[in-house]
Amino acid sequence: MRITVFDYGAGNLHSLMKALAGPEREVRSETDPVAALATDVLVLPGVGAFGAAAARLAPGRAAMRDAILAGLPTLGICLGMQLLFESSEEGEGAGLAVLGGRVERLHARRLPQIGWNTLEAVREPLITTSGLTTAYYANGFVCRTADAAVVTAWSTHEDDRFAAAVRVARCIGVQFHPEKSSAPGRLFVDGFLRALQQGALPPLSDS
Amino acid sequence: MTLSRRLIVCLDVQDGRVVKGVNFTGLRDVGDPVALAERYENEGADEITFLDITATHEARATLLDLARRTAERLFIPLTIGGGIRSVTDIAEALRAGADKVSLNSAAVRDPLVLTAGAERFGAQCIVASIDAKWDGKRYRVYTAGGRTPTPLDAIAWAQECVARGAGEILLTSIDADGRRTGYDLTLTRAVASAVSVPVIASGGAGEAAHVVAAITEGGADAALVAGILHDGVTTVAALKRAMRAAALPIREVAA
Repeated sequence: MRITVFDYGAGNLHSLMKALAGPEREVRSETDPVAALATDVLVLPGVGAFGAAAARLAPGRAAMRDAILAGLPTLGICLGMQLLFESSEEGEGAGLAVLGGRVERLHARRLPQIGWNTLEAVREPLITTSGLTTAYYANGFVCRTADAAVVTAWSTHEDDRFAAAVRVARCIGVQFHPEKSSAPGRLFVDGFLRALQQGALPPLSDS
Repeated sequence: MTLSRRLIVCLDVQDGRVVKGVNFTGLRDVGDPVALAERYENEGADEITFLDITATHEARATLLDLARRTAERLFIPLTIGGGIRSVTDIAEALRAGADKVSLNSAAVRDPLVLTAGAERFGAQCIVASIDAKWDGKRYRVYTAGGRTPTPLDAIAWAQECVARGAGEILLTSIDADGRRTGYDLTLTRAVASAVSVPVIASGGAGEAAHVVAAITEGGADAALVAGILHDGVTTVAALKRAMRAAALPIREVAA
């Protein structure tokens, strides 16, 4: 299985590449958004600022959006999840608009949110089975979705409840950093890839 | 629920090796920062910080190589500090495997480096490191590892760092550092209440109660510890237990 990390040129991809690695997996990074689509799994990593990443994405924006909506397995992490939405208060440029909604600043006294936070109302079995109950966040912005039905887990910073995870088609977005959430975070990434290797993502649970 | 309070373990490194004696049994190479970082992750540390105390130009390549090797094995956040002077240095450190960088002297020399770093990489990875010492009237900022006094007031400087783009403050009390009599709670409280970003208390931890006090009384979001862990005075697990007993929200780690 070919796994491609779309590289916006911003930050640390080492831990992520390592977390993605496994038997019968070929992990590579790619700076060209169109070339990045020649893959079995696309990963949108979580480091950088929205405006700069949107600019890097722009030449392949329509093709990437179509591919994800057509079922390309995709994992968007932090900024990578935010890029699934239409736009961001953080910076100029268009997101992929795979999901309706906008990225907005968290409402809190202490910002950015840096540290470990609890996952609530989890409907994503890949999160539940990995034992990921507390995840590492480093973000000042969150996704305000137009459709709460796509949200598969929530977290709360101070009084602001926000989407911790979303799922649409075979695309999962997480606002936290699984590759920085210690052993359970790695299990989550591995579980996502193993489910794909076995053919399908598990159906969302009800609660 | 709420954001957990963090316990951050700091390792001083020089030429890619841990310099202060680390008193661990069952570890073959106690000078290997990668092995130590991994061990602290397994014990429940929430983050690791490497402070490069040489920070010479020649040591840079060694430090970046260390970051690379660590990031491949560490799955909690890694901060690198010491000798980071420019946006290029920040880019290299992040690229090599750091999740955050801390800037101290360079920010005092040119605060715009904080702004440029935050604009390019996001405020969440820019840590302003402030070393402060009480001079009888106020907390004065020192640079160059606590050797050089500046005219800056620590509280005003912390506010400026945040205005310039820092997403976190690592606040070290020079007076308390190494004494193991507790963090400087007055300094910590003053800075934590003056800024909107998370504050990491550093310097002075001697026992678990000090870590708890830094958060409950000092208002810090995180406490940084070094010597008491490396010397085997206490363990990450014991510190986390004390935090839990004080009803602080912490990240639970499966045994």
